[in-house]
Amino acid sequence: MYMQGLANFIDDFLGGLILICYALVVGSVLWRAVILRRRADHPVADQAILRSTIGILRSGSIALAALQGTKLVIKGMVLWGVLGELPMADYIGTVQFQAGLARFVLALGIAWLSGRLLLEPENRSLWIWLGALCLPMVVAGAWLVHAVGRFEHREPLMLLTILHQFAAAVWFGGVAQLVALWRLGNTEESARKFWPFAVVRFGILGIGSVALLLLTGLPLAITYVDSWSGLFGTGYGSLLITKVLLLVIALGFAFMNHLAGRRWRISGESGDIKRKVPYFIEAEAFILVGILFVAATLSSQPPSEDIAGNPELTATIPEVVEMFTPRIPRITSPSHEDLIAGEAGRVAVVKKIPSVAAKEWSDYNHNISGMFLTVMGIIAMLSYVQSPGFRWANYWPLGFVGLSIFLFFRSDAETWPLGPIGFWESTFKNGEVFQHRIATTLAMVLGILEVRARTGISSQRMKYMFPILCAFGGILLLTHAHAEFELKTEYLIQSTHVTMGLLAVMMAAGRWLELRLEPVDGTLQNTAFLSTGRIAGLLAILSMFLIGNIMMYYLEPLV
Amino acid sequence: MKRPLHMVLHSTAVAVLTTGLMVVPVQSAFGHAVVTESSLSKEPVKASHATKVVLFFNSNVELSLSKVFWVSEGDVYHPADIARGKKPGELHIKLPPLESGDYAIKYKVFAADGHLTESTIRFHVAP
Repeated sequence: MYMQGLANFIDDFLGGLILICYALVVGSVLWRAVILRRRADHPVADQAILRSTIGILRSGSIALAALQGTKLVIKGMVLWGVLGELPMADYIGTVQFQAGLARFVLALGIAWLSGRLLLEPENRSLWIWLGALCLPMVVAGAWLVHAVGRFEHREPLMLLTILHQFAAAVWFGGVAQLVALWRLGNTEESARKFWPFAVVRFGILGIGSVALLLLTGLPLAITYVDSWSGLFGTGYGSLLITKVLLLVIALGFAFMNHLAGRRWRISGESGDIKRKVPYFIEAEAFILVGILFVAATLSSQPPSEDIAGNPELTATIPEVVEMFTPRIPRITSPSHEDLIAGEAGRVAVVKKIPSVAAKEWSDYNHNISGMFLTVMGIIAMLSYVQSPGFRWANYWPLGFVGLSIFLFFRSDAETWPLGPIGFWESTFKNGEVFQHRIATTLAMVLGILEVRARTGISSQRMKYMFPILCAFGGILLLTHAHAEFELKTEYLIQSTHVTMGLLAVMMAAGRWLELRLEPVDGTLQNTAFLSTGRIAGLLAILSMFLIGNIMMYYLEPLV
Repeated sequence: MKRPLHMVLHSTAVAVLTTGLMVVPVQSAFGHAVVTESSLSKEPVKASHATKVVLFFNSNVELSLSKVFWVSEGDVYHPADIARGKKPGELHIKLPPLESGDYAIKYKVFAADGHLTESTIRFHVAP
């Protein structure tokens, strides 16, 4: 079980990274073919722009090869660990291994070709070869998705899934290229000139990729979810809802960029396209990264269709609502002795006895953590009041430091420092403990960095660590494993954690935008009260407040 | 009879995916495995009789990369023989004659998407 938790987590995490790298590769090739194509009345993408494009393509392909290779090795190690042996011939014979190996080799080939392209960026035949290698890499993905295991409609579902992946890759890869082009504009005049043209051209490509995403995503969703109970009562369904919500936010950013591009095209007004669009695109990238991780996590969930009719595997809508219903938080904890006494029964295979103490221990941890975040959220909102009397409120991130100390002692009572299982053993043999340890460290670092940023003593670069770490925390929550629970219980817990993950990604995007659009010093001084940056910052704080509320009312199912 | 739209979609899919054959040879494939049906719910295990438990997964499982145990009281693990059934996703587990009491089946199965699914089914053997 513990190994499965760790394996699922690594699978989902690597899966998300692989999707990102895949998108960088595929999106960059399309970027070159469509956005950088020569047009008579447009400025030409010169060698600097081409090299920047190829640089991303090359980095993406090298990382893709490395991650895909790592995944194959880790999977073998996990199999070895769980089965006690590794039948190598059987493992190599699996479709998973062969498709993964194919993608690994093709990614290496693309990396080599892009290295050549860096020397000859305009060599047409090299680009054609590169496109030719990308095609089987995209198709190989068909053997790495859910659809390959279906008994019915297998091939159509495989095709729809790779088209869906392709569309997402074009979108994310293009957004990454836009971010790189804007940064290149700091040093290259040609990039500055090309920027508005690229935004407008990408708007058209983006609409096409979104249309393809929806056209392929809808039949996939209908097939895999099949019912309302499947949508609201299973892990697969809840992740799909999260993915759709993130998609709507990303589309919102894309729409604003599109409008700015249109204004520029019609009137030549370039204010927003240079002042706001670059930062909206960065925030969009945060959201898209979240979507790709959700997509990777989806692939580790059984499709709702397969379990929706089984009351032991799916939750009812009232049961899900109950998880989010406000109630008086638990502020007393069972003793450590009571908790340990119930552990033997809780983890027994044959005569499993649910532990009330373990449930209450977890409720207490979540509820107190929620109170930390809720209070921090309220104080953070006060910090936006433009009065010297509220300067003290800028120290609200110190609550993260307190939270991390609390989590360190309370997260996993059966492990060090309170329990008998050693630090290293628990950290690296249990996926859930591993994630808790990361979250604890993350909270501590977040607190220190953000206090420095909010009080104006942080360096310019370090300020951006908070939204980056927030996004990482959100991704952890989106891929959070509770493998020792049964499927229904796992889902009920997941429903809250996924919602918090969604809010954490929104928090990251909001704070990032605030820092980018309020370039004073990040401390909210001398800015208009309802500027775009402030609204984004307040939305980030509201997201944290909502995360606090969800945790404050969290009630773990008794199993 | 297959509907025309489905046939068109199916044919198109097969045609496109055929290009992938250059890269990945098609074999028996499988997906994330969850037990959707179990013979234990219909035919309880009788004491002192060898029993064949049938599990239906939502996808095929790779037998050579899977392990199943029957677990007796005190969480003592015993390897169980497994075999593929006739229907897709059907797995047969051979249990020896058991005395009355509480038991569990613990399975670790490898699915097509590379996910290792590990779960437990508890059951009671009546006298």
